[in-house]
Amino acid sequence: MIQLSEIWPVIWLTLLISGLATIISFVLALPAALFLYFQEFPGRKIVLSLIHTGMGLPPVVVGLFVALLLWRSGPLGSLGLMYTPAAMLIAQIIIAWRIIAGLTWAALQQVDPTLILQAKALGASRLQLALTLFREARLGQISAVIAAFGAVVSEVGAVLMVGGNIKGYTRVLTTAILQETRLGNFSLAIILALILLGLSFAVNWLLTSWQQKGTKSWRLPSWK
Amino acid sequence: MATPELEIGDLVHYYGRKKVLEIDRFEVYPGESVVIFGPNGAGKSTLLRVAALLEKPTSGHVIYHGVDAWPGNPLSLRRQAVLLLEKPVFFRGRVKDNLLYGLKLRGVRPQDGRQSLEEIVELFRLGPLLDRSPEELSAGERQRVNLARAMVIKPRVLFLDEPFSSLDAAFRDELMAEFHQIRRKTGQTTVLVTHIREEAAYLADRMIVLIQGKVVQAGKPEEIFAFPAHPAVARLIGHEALVEGTVVDQQNGLLKIAIAGQFLYALGHRFPGERVTVIFRPEEVILATEKPATSVRNWFYATVTEIKHLDKLFLVHLDCGFKLKAYLTRPAIEELQVASGKKFWAGVKASSLLANPCYSRMKEPDQNNGAK
Repeated sequence: MIQLSEIWPVIWLTLLISGLATIISFVLALPAALFLYFQEFPGRKIVLSLIHTGMGLPPVVVGLFVALLLWRSGPLGSLGLMYTPAAMLIAQIIIAWRIIAGLTWAALQQVDPTLILQAKALGASRLQLALTLFREARLGQISAVIAAFGAVVSEVGAVLMVGGNIKGYTRVLTTAILQETRLGNFSLAIILALILLGLSFAVNWLLTSWQQKGTKSWRLPSWK
Repeated sequence: MATPELEIGDLVHYYGRKKVLEIDRFEVYPGESVVIFGPNGAGKSTLLRVAALLEKPTSGHVIYHGVDAWPGNPLSLRRQAVLLLEKPVFFRGRVKDNLLYGLKLRGVRPQDGRQSLEEIVELFRLGPLLDRSPEELSAGERQRVNLARAMVIKPRVLFLDEPFSSLDAAFRDELMAEFHQIRRKTGQTTVLVTHIREEAAYLADRMIVLIQGKVVQAGKPEEIFAFPAHPAVARLIGHEALVEGTVVDQQNGLLKIAIAGQFLYALGHRFPGERVTVIFRPEEVILATEKPATSVRNWFYATVTEIKHLDKLFLVHLDCGFKLKAYLTRPAIEELQVASGKKFWAGVKASSLLANPCYSRMKEPDQNNGAK
């Protein structure tokens, strides 16, 4: 049974892996989405379809692929990353990336193309165009980050598979809840579940506050 | 003569297999206001995008102050022009942020930017709007902010695509006058596209008439309005009726023209024996039940053949040996009891009629090469 003093490292690792995975995948997904938005190339539709298919990919399958890569006899086995937080981070980045790339691309598509043409006609360079588009699609992109963080913080299959739920090393909240439930320690499992929910709520509250900043409620239609 | 700010030469542009532009030569000189005038679908907006270096022409030259933009199209050259699209669109943020957008793109230092901003805010009277969101502005205010956003950059050439077309008539005239004044004051070189003849006449130092992707006539607006060089141009500037006849006499610019067994007096520099096309504006034709004793030189006994209800007026088609049209208001229609088959005297002053070289000998613009 987990002692209360052992919970802090679990919370910390959960936040660290989920937060880092979300940030890294956002940094990797944004250029991809911008490239897909601006650049016409043969096979663009296929790439988009693959990303959309990836959005529905079960995390446990991602875990399996990462495990196959990092397994001692696998192509990256020599790095010795299997059952380490780094392996968990890799799996979580892949899980978050497909969500952020798909949703960010959709968010960019929502921006009025006339606005981007006007930016260009006012003298924007390629980079400035991309930055303008990024700014204009802010709401949708924060939604993408919220969805991706939600997916990785609640994920259990992949992190269990490549992290191994090693006490004090790769144990995160979801794998801890799984373990305590299996052992019949329901009260502790419930406490851990509440902590996970609280954590998820706190992060989402911060992101939502950022997203809604500057949105004036009087401009929105009312039910009354 | 000063070096042109912009020169376009031997330009041909295709959309797929369709030729949309064919411009031999087009120049814009410093401080000029050039209006590209033409019907919808003439290729005006395409020409603006090509001239503003937003679209690469299929072939030809776009030269800014002696430097050919293509094939490189460097950013430094593209930044010498600013194009405002037909629909004003704004970026996230306040009016002030939008006004500073173009300057920030160009890396203008904040203190220099502030000075330019203050100048333009004063010219366009935008002080009270600076901290508001563009979404809160009226259509007229939005267009003022839009114009100011481009002019604050002081581009070498400012391109405007139908900037006043989305406004109500009253607002349009007001903003047009304001813009015209500011443009004169700042000496901003401008190329403006419109399909509204009043706008073209008011704003142009020089006019280019574009039909089916080709320049059909170029010159001062008063020249084009007085002597449209082509039947298509005449129709475009509102001359509905075109009648052909032969000059029989000419005295001090007043021509006596034989048309369908009648004589007609018009202005023009033509010679006896020459075939001419006389052009009428329907708004200058008047109807009377009896021939009045007035200074009007031309009176024809005409039969009403058709009456069309337009937005605010009625267009009355007349047959007086040749076809004529007249605009009448509803009270005039009711008072004169105008109806199909009734006969009236149709009058038009000689000074309202123009005799141009015979149009029937001219070729219409090539339909196959038409713009989208």
